[in-house]
Order: sequence, then C-alpha cells, then structure tokens
Amino acid sequence: MKPDLDPAERPGSIYIHIPFCQNKCAYCAFNSYPAHHFDINGYLAALEKEIDAMSAHLLIRQKKIFSLFIGGGTPTIYSGRQLGRLIRSCRKLYHFTDRPEISVETNPNQIDMKTLIGLKEAGVNRLSIGIQSFAAPLLKRLSRTHTVEDGLKAIKLARNAGFDNINLDLMYGLPGQNVEDWRQTLETALTTSPEHLAIYELMVEKNTAFANLAAANKLELPNEDTIVHMEKMTLQFLQSAGFIRYEIANYARPGYECEHNINYWTNGTYLGLGAGAVSCLNNMRITNVSDPDQYRLLITNDKPPFAGVECLCRDARFRETVIMGLRMTGGVDMTDIESRFNLTLSDYYGSILQNFIARNLLEISGDHLRLTERSLPVANQILSELV
Amino acid sequence: MKNIRNFSIIAHIDHGKSTLADRLIQICNMVSDRQFKDQILDNMDIERERGITIKSQTFCLPYKAKDGKEYILNLVDTPGHVDFSYEVARALDSCEGALLLIDASQGIEAQTLANLFLAMESDLEIIPVINKIDLPSADPEAVALQIEEDLGLDGELIQQCSAKTGEGVDNILEAIVRYLPEPEGDPQEPLQALIFDANYDSFRGTVISCRIVNGRVKAGDTIVFMSNQAEYRVEEVGIFRLTREPVKELQAGEIGYILAGVKTVSDTRAGDTITLKQNPCSIALPDFKPIQQVVFSSIYPISTDDYEDLTAALEKLKLNDASLTFQKDSSSALGFGFRCGFLGLLHLEVVQERLEREFDIPIILTVPSVVYHFYLQDGTMKKIDNPAYFPDPAGIDRTEEPFIKATIHMPERYMGSVMNLCMERRGENTNYHYPMPGRIEFTCELPLAEVIYDFYDKLKSITQGYGSFDYELQDYRPSDLVKLDILVNGERVDALSQLVHRANSRARGLHACERLKEEIPRQMFKIAIQGAIGGTIISRTTISALRKDVTAKCYGGDISRKRKLLEKQKAGKKRMKTVGNVDIPQKAFLAVLKSDQG
Repeated sequence: MKPDLDPAERPGSIYIHIPFCQNKCAYCAFNSYPAHHFDINGYLAALEKEIDAMSAHLLIRQKKIFSLFIGGGTPTIYSGRQLGRLIRSCRKLYHFTDRPEISVETNPNQIDMKTLIGLKEAGVNRLSIGIQSFAAPLLKRLSRTHTVEDGLKAIKLARNAGFDNINLDLMYGLPGQNVEDWRQTLETALTTSPEHLAIYELMVEKNTAFANLAAANKLELPNEDTIVHMEKMTLQFLQSAGFIRYEIANYARPGYECEHNINYWTNGTYLGLGAGAVSCLNNMRITNVSDPDQYRLLITNDKPPFAGVECLCRDARFRETVIMGLRMTGGVDMTDIESRFNLTLSDYYGSILQNFIARNLLEISGDHLRLTERSLPVANQILSELV
Repeated sequence: MKNIRNFSIIAHIDHGKSTLADRLIQICNMVSDRQFKDQILDNMDIERERGITIKSQTFCLPYKAKDGKEYILNLVDTPGHVDFSYEVARALDSCEGALLLIDASQGIEAQTLANLFLAMESDLEIIPVINKIDLPSADPEAVALQIEEDLGLDGELIQQCSAKTGEGVDNILEAIVRYLPEPEGDPQEPLQALIFDANYDSFRGTVISCRIVNGRVKAGDTIVFMSNQAEYRVEEVGIFRLTREPVKELQAGEIGYILAGVKTVSDTRAGDTITLKQNPCSIALPDFKPIQQVVFSSIYPISTDDYEDLTAALEKLKLNDASLTFQKDSSSALGFGFRCGFLGLLHLEVVQERLEREFDIPIILTVPSVVYHFYLQDGTMKKIDNPAYFPDPAGIDRTEEPFIKATIHMPERYMGSVMNLCMERRGENTNYHYPMPGRIEFTCELPLAEVIYDFYDKLKSITQGYGSFDYELQDYRPSDLVKLDILVNGERVDALSQLVHRANSRARGLHACERLKEEIPRQMFKIAIQGAIGGTIISRTTISALRKDVTAKCYGGDISRKRKLLEKQKAGKKRMKTVGNVDIPQKAFLAVLKSDQG
C-alpha cells in the first residue's frame, strides 16, 4: 500500500486549542474549563514549547501551512500580546504560504480594542465570534455571560479594528425558541453584515448541564417539525441575503469560505497543538491529552502530550474522506479522491451508491458527488451506509 | 455403598446455590485456588450472566468425615427453570437427599417451595440450609422459624452458613454424611441405570450422566436404552471429578458417566433406563417421558450469507441440546432458515442467545407458535405449527389447540390479579386450595398459545416474584383460528404472520401494529403497517417519515468520534432485515406477541 495519501505539495494547517473559558455553558461539550481553576500562563508556556518541538517534525517541515486557527474555549482569555506572540512563533517556525488564513475565536464579552489591535498586528485576518443568539432570554438559558448588546458591540469593535472577515456562531433549536425568535436573531445578525455564519442546531451532548436537564425531562426543545421549519427558513433567508450554504452548518458570502475548515472536510493534513487537540499527519490521527494540567506537565517534563494515535487503513480513510466530504454541499471531488486513494467511488460502493442516486439521495454534478436538497437534513442516514 | 451420599442443592434463584456448590468443591480439595473460578458449575456465559443453570453438572467429592471414614459425596446440580422441570425432576430422582438453601435475609420464596415439592415428590431427605448469615440484614432465627412452621421441616436439621465466607460449610458436609440416607440398590440385580443428563464431548461423543440404581456396568459391556432398544458397547465408565476420571466399574448406588460411542446427545434421553443386553432388567424405571417440543419458531440469518454458518451452528448446538429440533424452512421475506422446536420460551431465548454469542450469527426469530390440529372437510387432520401452512379457510371443518394445566403457587394476596391474568388468557376450570396458611395453590387450564409468550414474565411481575409456575400439557380442545397477516407498506411479511383465536384477532391485530410502530425506527419515508385477515384490513398504524438526522457540527477534533457514531449506526442497520424498502429490527419480529397491557 502506498502510504502517501496526501501529496507532499498539498499544504496543511495548524490548530491551536485554548481550553479555557470564563465559565462553562450549559450545552457545551467541548474540551474547555473555567479558567480560574488553572495556571493559564503555565499553559501558554507549554504551548510555546509544543509549537517549538513539533516544528522540528519531519512531516511538518516538508509542509507549507496555509491556515492557522486558534480556537477554544475562549482564546481571548489571553491578551492580544500573548496571542500575538504565539502566532509570531508559529510564523517563525513553520513555513507559511504567502497569504495564510489566520483565525481566532472569541466571545462578545472577552474582547476589547486592545486585544483586537494586537491580533490584527500579529496577522490575524479572520475573527469568529460566539454570538449564539440575539435573544436575551435564550442567552440566559444557554448560560452565556454576555448580553445582546455585548454581541453587537463586539462586532462593531472588530469592524473598527479593521477585520473584514468576520464569522458569527449562531444556534437554533434552543429550549423555548420558536421560528419567529430565530428569524429575529438571523435578521439582527444580517444587520452587522457578517462575511460568514456558522449555524448550529443545538445538540444535547453527554456530560453537559443540558443532558442532565433532558434526563430529568426538564428540557423542552422545539419539535422536529419546528426544527425543519427553522432550517428551511434559514436557507431561504440567507440565500436571498447573498450567502452560500457550503457545508451543513456553514454559510459564507462568495469567497469567504473558511479554508481552515474545508481542510478538515477534505480530510487534509493538519497539526493540532494544545490540550485535546487532534493532528492528522500522513495516515495517523494523534490526539493530545485533554486535561490542561496534564498537558502542561507532560510538556514541561519533555514528554509527548499524546493520549492516543489512530491509524486507519487505506479503505477506512477513503470512506472517512467520503463521509466528511459529503458534509460540503459541493460534495466530494471524485477525481481528487481517486488520485489520492487509487479507489473509484462507483467501484467501491457499487449498488449502494447507484441505489442512493436512483432514490435522489445522492447526485453527481460534474466530477463531484454530493447530497441532495432532500437528503441533507437526514445526511446521517446516507453517511452511515457509506462509512 | 455405605460411604456414598447422593445429593442436590435446591433453592430460589439468587439464594446462593452456585456459591455453595463452589465452596463445597473447594473444601473437598478438588480444586486448587488457581483453578478456582467463581461458580464452577455455571460454565456457560449465559448461565453466568442470567445467574441460572441451564445444563446440569455433577461433581464427585471425596470427603473424610469426623467419624474418621472416607465418604464419596455426589453433588448433582439441577437446572432452574420451569421449561426444564422434567430435567430437574430426573436429576433429583438420582439422589437420596437435597440441601434446601434459603437466603437468611429473604426467607422462603416461591421457588423454594416449588423446588421443595419437586424434591418431596422424588422422596428425598431434606436438609434445610440458611445461607448468607454474614449479611447485615440476615435474620436466621426468623427464617428457621419459617422452615419449621411454614415448611414443616425438622428444625434440628437446620444448618447455617455463609457460602461466601465459608463459615458453617464444614457442618453441612457433616450433616450430609449424618442425615442423608445411603443409597439403596443391589449390585447383584440386573443393571438399571437412570439417565439424568447428557453432554457432548467433541472427542468422545456423548457423555451420559447416570445413577446406577441396581446392578453394575463396566467397559466392554453392551448396554441397551430401554426407550428405543438402541444398543451400544461401553467404552469407558467413570466418575466426575474436576475432569472425568475413568473407573473399572460403576455399581448400584453410584453416580457416574458412561461413554459408549453415542454420536449425538439427542440419542440419549433424561429419564430413560439403561440396562445390559446380556442380563436385562424386566422393567424400566418409572416416569420416562419422551421429549416434546411445544413451541415452534423459525430462525433466519439476517444476512443470507450466514445460512451455511447457521446450519453448522444449529448442528453443533444440537449435539449438546437434546431438546432442540430443527428442519429447513423458507420465507419470502426472510429467505432460507430453519423451523425449530423448543421446550418452552426460555429454551428458545437461550438458543437465540447462544447462536448470537457463541457463533456470532445475527438472527431473526419469527413469532413462536404451538402445534394446532386442523380437521379438514376431506376428513384428514393436519398438524400445523407454522402460519405459512395455514390451510385454505374454506376447507377447514374444525380446529383444535393444545391446552395445559397450569399450577401456580403464590401468597394468598396475589390471588385476584393472577386469576384476572388467567381469565384474560382464556383460562378455564380454575381451582385452588391452601397447602399452608397464607399460600395458595391455584390450578387453571389454559391454551398453551396464551402461555408461551410472556405469561411467566407477567406472572412474576404481578406476584412480585413470589409466584411460581409449572405446567403440563393436557389435551387438544376445539378452537376457532384465523391467520393474522402483517403488511408493511402494502407488502405481506410472512415472518410476522401468526395464528390467533378469532375472538382475539382484532385486538391482536391492533396490538401487533402498535408494537411494530414502537419497534421499527423511523425511516426516510412514511411506513404504513396493517393487520389483515384474509383480504380484510383490521388494523392500521403509520410511522411518519424521519425528517432530521444530521450531525450539527464536525471539525478536526470531532472526526474520529463522529465516524464511530456513524459506524455504530451502520452496525445497528446490519442487525435489521430489509423487507421491501423498510428496515425491520430483529426484536420487532418477537415484539408483536409481547403484550404491554395490564
């Protein structure tokens, strides 16, 4: 088997995880912790060290890096200077392309002008703001610590600081939310003219406050019909406002699709740094330990911070690339995937694929295979047959 | 013979039978600590998990008593469920005594009593043993009083122990030696050996467990099974230590095994008598009953590729399970499979679990059925256990279905609800009496078809576990049967058809549709489920189309986890059978019969 599934000339990306927030939100299942419990400066030092150590890795040294994403948690729990230093280290130690996409996530009440200027100066050109909702009662229900005004102000600040590529995270399907509430949040969002919108349906994940409420039957979520209605409305609304839905949960104005995330959906190469971060290098997927203290201790003791390595065979990686790719509305580039894996979609899946196409659940457009308008809302039904 | 004691341990479920057996084996130094696996006797996975004994096993324990003499104690383990009550009775027949084990904190319970009655029918001497005296909630004095007053057993004989810690177990061994009678029987008489169990050894063939009642048997003898006059040459006789241990000869009073090149276990039958060809005994031991399968169901592999494997697996199971029968069957919905006969529903479930667990074959079982008699207008009678062969209704003159006599023991307070349950199930000729104050023995004649499914589960739940149930087949009685078909999106699924009493057909049809609605997951299109008799639709439900099934977000750190979730979803689908376009889960096929009302 040829191990080179990802040609060396294909550039990769870097993700840096900041696992701290001011507080833990009721729905959040991410690897994030209330910051006051941790030595966050020690964590930053550990990160610097990992950035340095991994840059010597052979697989990385060969790679051009086209995107850097600092996510969380809330990265802006750190100052603009601290984050700027992190970014500059990366840019010094890794080989970036000429105009890399550099994104930072933030929350409305964890951002100020000083930080924004610091980020801008360090080369950050894309800002992702965790707005979630423009309805005050819903923000409270989600245990967000910011207000509707904080959200609007944060966007304005970012604009004033010169950010011309802003994403807003928004959620629907929230407890007590109706279609009209949701439409208002979308309308408010559009008044700020974002370049990009990430729109998530609330998923009740294990080990969250919401999961406990749901178990006790105290979480009243909109029913399936309402959710479907919200989705249809979202799509129409955003399309008429000039957005393209390019992935199940992502909408962008043309040219503003997030390069960093597209790299995940095409199953490309990426380096993940920080607690719980995941790297995908060659055939290997490496996961760092998720506990920030453990991560810091391992790094300071010159030990690799890895918690696990997954190594998929060619077939499994091929299938994974297909199911990830189908999350994008443009679908999977069949020519590309065939050259990467030396496997043909139609041969590999045979009648399963034909059957889906015949039932209008998959379609071929040019050299792309994609989900149809009909199958997008029930994507897992199709993906689970292809996985 | 003076130094032999043959005994069983009888108990309510969970009162510690297997733990005590383990402890006895350990004390008699049969097993080194390294070999000592908890609950040596229950060695099938399913037995361990469900905590019930399905196949019985025997151990021969050497014991030096305080009187200085060496004794041989034969411990015969018994299976513990109503489906196997005949096997229990045969195992008890091979003993002179039994330890009646009672939990010191629970006291006497339903099965304590049912098992005690069985032991008394076999005329066994009983030693009551109060177990689990180490528990903080133990109340041995109260239990002792119950034993004397409620069971009428001799208080002098009561032993107290903790099988878990080993406390008091020495005294039990002494009590066995002192109070249980030595076996009777005459080694000079012609051979009479009672078969009480049989197991399969892949190298040696069937291992026949038996009690030598009279006479003697050794390698080289030609033996005869009295039920079918089959002859075999004895290759080896021996006793059960941790492994089989050959001896020169088995004689009256002893318990041991015979190897005689018997190919399959089904050639030997518990309860049958073995004698010698040269010097046969004049009469067989009493109470032999040939095996009678009362519940029939078809087994299909979910994937047709597994058919060969399923065939091989059933053949292997059959080697060790004399009570299972199977023959080829086919269904338009499910393809090729087997029609299988079982002793009862637990037996059916055990076979299903063993096929999936030991052989890793996902299967579908169709709705279980009993054997119906159809008298046709041309004067012939057809026995039918499969709805697929339901005769043309126009040609049926009359039909009959099997009835059982059910015996239920329970505390008095449950009488009303048990009576209701039996009436719901078309019970007739109920009767009851009080074997002791506060307890009722209730008998009722019921159609077997009404009992095979969840009658026992229902009984247990309404009597909070205190009701014990036993049944025997009685006779065939006039019935009025129709075939209830189930249509899924207009397509008849033959594996879901069942024969039902006409009076219940509408309710059953509705019930089946409701249950299927619960069991069949929503799919990308609407699914109509209909119940039909002949061409008439009698019930209908609809499963609405699935409109949402998508993972909201998926980035680099989520990929592995989301992929695994999809793989899980895929594996779940593999356990479903696609009929037409509809994926029907395995358990839906049995669910149509499970009642949920009441």
